[in-house]
Amino acid sequence: MAEQLLEIKDLHAGVEDKEILKGLSLSVGKGEVHVILGPNGSGKSTLMNIIMGHPKYTVTSGSMEFEGEDMTEMKTFERSRKGLFLSFQTPEEIPGITVENMLRTAKQAITGEKVKLLPFRKELKATMQELKMDPEYAQRYLNVGFSGGEKKRTEILQLLMLKPKLALLDETDSGLDVDAVQIVSEGVAKFHNEENSCLIITHNTRILEHLKVDKVHVLMNGQIVEEGGPELIEDINSRGFAHIREEQEG
Amino acid sequence: MLNEEIFSAIPMRTWRWLKVNEVPVPAGLSENVQTEKILVETGESKSIVLDRREGGALEVQAHIADGGELNLIYAQLVGEEQAATSRIKVYVGKGAKFNYTTVEAGAKHTAAELTVDMAGDDSFADVWGLYFGDGGRKIDLNYIIRQQGKRTDANMQVRGALLGGAEKTFRGTLDFLEGSKGSVGREDEEVMVLSDHVQNRSVPIMLSHEDDVDGHHAVSIGKMDEEKLFYLMSRGLDLAEAQKLVVEANFQPVLDRIDNDELKAEIDAYLQRRLSNG
Amino acid sequence: MAEKKKTYVEDIERTLYDIKNEDHSVYKSHSGLTPEIVRDISKRKNDPEWMTEFRLKSLEVYNSLELPTWGPSLEELNMDDIVTYVQPDAKMTGSWEEVPEDIKDTFDRLGIPEAEKTSLGGVGAQYDSEVVYHSIQEDMVKQGVIYTDMETALVEHEDIVKEYFMTLVPPKDHKFAALHGAVWSGGSFVYVPEGVHVEMPLQSYFRLNAAGAGQFEHTLIIVEKNASLHFIEGCSAPKHNVTNLHAGCVELFVKEGARLRYSTIENWSRNMMNLNTKRALVEKDGIIEWVSGSFGSHISCLYPCSVLHGENARCEFTGVTFASKGQNLDTGASVIHAAPHTSANINTRTISKAGGKATYRSAVKVTKNAPFAKCSVNCESLMLDNLSRSDTLPVMDIEGDEADIGHEAKIGRISDEAIFYLTSRGIDEEEARAMIVRGFVEPIAKELPLEYALEMNNLVNIELEGTMG
Repeated sequence: MAEQLLEIKDLHAGVEDKEILKGLSLSVGKGEVHVILGPNGSGKSTLMNIIMGHPKYTVTSGSMEFEGEDMTEMKTFERSRKGLFLSFQTPEEIPGITVENMLRTAKQAITGEKVKLLPFRKELKATMQELKMDPEYAQRYLNVGFSGGEKKRTEILQLLMLKPKLALLDETDSGLDVDAVQIVSEGVAKFHNEENSCLIITHNTRILEHLKVDKVHVLMNGQIVEEGGPELIEDINSRGFAHIREEQEG
Repeated sequence: MLNEEIFSAIPMRTWRWLKVNEVPVPAGLSENVQTEKILVETGESKSIVLDRREGGALEVQAHIADGGELNLIYAQLVGEEQAATSRIKVYVGKGAKFNYTTVEAGAKHTAAELTVDMAGDDSFADVWGLYFGDGGRKIDLNYIIRQQGKRTDANMQVRGALLGGAEKTFRGTLDFLEGSKGSVGREDEEVMVLSDHVQNRSVPIMLSHEDDVDGHHAVSIGKMDEEKLFYLMSRGLDLAEAQKLVVEANFQPVLDRIDNDELKAEIDAYLQRRLSNG
Repeated sequence: MAEKKKTYVEDIERTLYDIKNEDHSVYKSHSGLTPEIVRDISKRKNDPEWMTEFRLKSLEVYNSLELPTWGPSLEELNMDDIVTYVQPDAKMTGSWEEVPEDIKDTFDRLGIPEAEKTSLGGVGAQYDSEVVYHSIQEDMVKQGVIYTDMETALVEHEDIVKEYFMTLVPPKDHKFAALHGAVWSGGSFVYVPEGVHVEMPLQSYFRLNAAGAGQFEHTLIIVEKNASLHFIEGCSAPKHNVTNLHAGCVELFVKEGARLRYSTIENWSRNMMNLNTKRALVEKDGIIEWVSGSFGSHISCLYPCSVLHGENARCEFTGVTFASKGQNLDTGASVIHAAPHTSANINTRTISKAGGKATYRSAVKVTKNAPFAKCSVNCESLMLDNLSRSDTLPVMDIEGDEADIGHEAKIGRISDEAIFYLTSRGIDEEEARAMIVRGFVEPIAKELPLEYALEMNNLVNIELEGTMG
């Protein structure tokens, strides 16, 4: 088995008095691609936000380790600097901050080194071209006035530029047309190598086309209820979640 | 002027030359005040229609206890030769709801003050107003929503049409008081102006002493959308008919809130008649 | 990474601006206001007869007017304590070498002579009540551009001054306009002849050093037909424990097809009452562009007004106001549409923190003579805590049916989701907040020349330091 990158054990978490994750365990090894499936409202996005340390959620018990280090108390920016990256389901619009400025500031924060403008610009431009993005978007305000597809592409652009160890992709393919999904999927494939891992929430198998999926987890009612190989995706696509639910309840 | 008195004022004053600080009414109008009291008990839901045809001064005090709900409809169809003032004060308790629909369409001089005190946490106020001015009518509105409780939710939607030589001032205030954490407030006024002789004043005030709030206001004043008119005229309507239709469409969201079919039909017919004359 | 400063900073270190010089003035009027004082100022300034009369009439108007009854309370202002005229120990000169050392040092620290070398077409520098330095590039003089202090203009271009002076802002306008008319001193005069485009901006910098004094500079700019100009006004003062008063007056005349950009970064110290009046009269096809940054002063009342007098005249207003502890900044704009097809865009951002009070106050008036007027207003307010206040009070007064008026306003705080988004990209919370605040004022910063945009960013950073985390 590969070296563990993310290790979540018996995690209980939620907002105020409402528990959303109820004893969730999950581990992702280095170089692996994992997929999380689950019906709406099962807690998939919540899980992603909790891994990233969203202050809205409180972890009540259990543990989360990244490269063997406990991170439950870590702030969001510290997690990011350790190598975590979340591609948001609905990326925030932030007026007045350009895509380039944000990325350069982030890159400097993560690497702890000064990022020189010209080489950075060159890399940014090349990456944007790969994602078939108009380079003019680098000077636009972050996600402001972007279409759904442009926002998601900008997320992948950040993924490629910041090169994290673990990419959390929260429905990065939702709301995109066929061509856009293709671009995003290629982008993720380009990012992925033996040294980094992906944890993907999706309703669409197309994003996985260029990736070799190692493991699939089914999340229901705040817990992982079933795990398996890529064949589980097919199974759920054809039969839905109902039978798993019955097994659970039965 | 000596024959005027101040009926109401905005919560924060501004330049005097703009003449919007105070709401003046003919002197002596408030000498005989008709007073109504409405009490909504805890958990109770009440619907009340104030169908007003007489001029003079009206005062309404409503208290909505915790968890209560009041649906208040105020239709002012006072005769065209009279002046009419109304002062409506509403207290909204914890988790209580206030739904208000007002049609200010009558009287030669209208002055209306509405004050909603959202004192309770999680209180809710949804205020929809319609005004219609034609001839030489004067309409002065001063709506104030004070958001005091936590997580209060206020919405103020006003639609108007002005024609002839009408003169109107709408003052709408959202006041987020200290402690109103998590509150949201929205205020919109849309005015359609159909005559060159209209005077239209809009004063959308937003006051805040709390950072954890989300407040918006927007005003749009203008003539009708040419595209809309063109579309309707391409379907065979003449300009006047098309305009009438567009005004009605603008009023519809307010009128739809009146569930008393008889009253709604009457207001409809009344506005139709006034629009046709205009 | 910069060291995190978590403690709350009681009053901002504004070192650069706060260094005060010893008061070397050669003459100070008695504090307070009497016809004798006004006559005395007029005599010392060698006013022509009509100006002395004008001053005395203004004083009468001043005495007949009440303090404004709206807006921030001006109770703290006691005119009897204010010295209205402070003559520095310096003669007006065209060479920095001749400016007395301590005064020159002040302007050096503010970067004025440096900017003059690199990016300005002309510079004026006022110290207390008098202008101590004025210069303009030679080629502009050849094109007939006049840029000088008001006193010189009154001598050398008396007819022009007489024609325009306080016609746009008459003394009877309000109490402080009247006060200005009575005791005005210093300021800049610019005349751009027909068809001349002044390529590099002109800048006047106003510095009030003396404690308990008032500064009443008058700026008069005339941009003739099809000419253009960018004028920059800067102001600052060191902090004193007594109230200082600034009641300047700016009159801008933008003729047919002309274009004027008027930029201000105001950074008065926190003991200043800033009651400034600015107005522009814009003729046919003319454009006035205001860029206005209000950071300093204890109390500010500032609402630049654009009178769109000729057909197709246009106004663009961009403003940012940052109110912090002990500040009550009442700012905004007004536009009067007085001709057909006139248009205006007003775009403002206000920020309040640490008990500061920021008010956006505006008026849009469309007269009967202005069919097809178009105006769009957008104001956003950001509150950094709940000790502060942020109020929005716009008035629209529209006559006629051919106007197209839109107004939008928003109020709120920095969204937690935006912070989460940026921190998830490795940026720490303090920097994320600062980025969002800078982004919030970016629409204004981008309208400023680079070095002023940097100054504004710097002021924002100073204000944010210590308030986060």
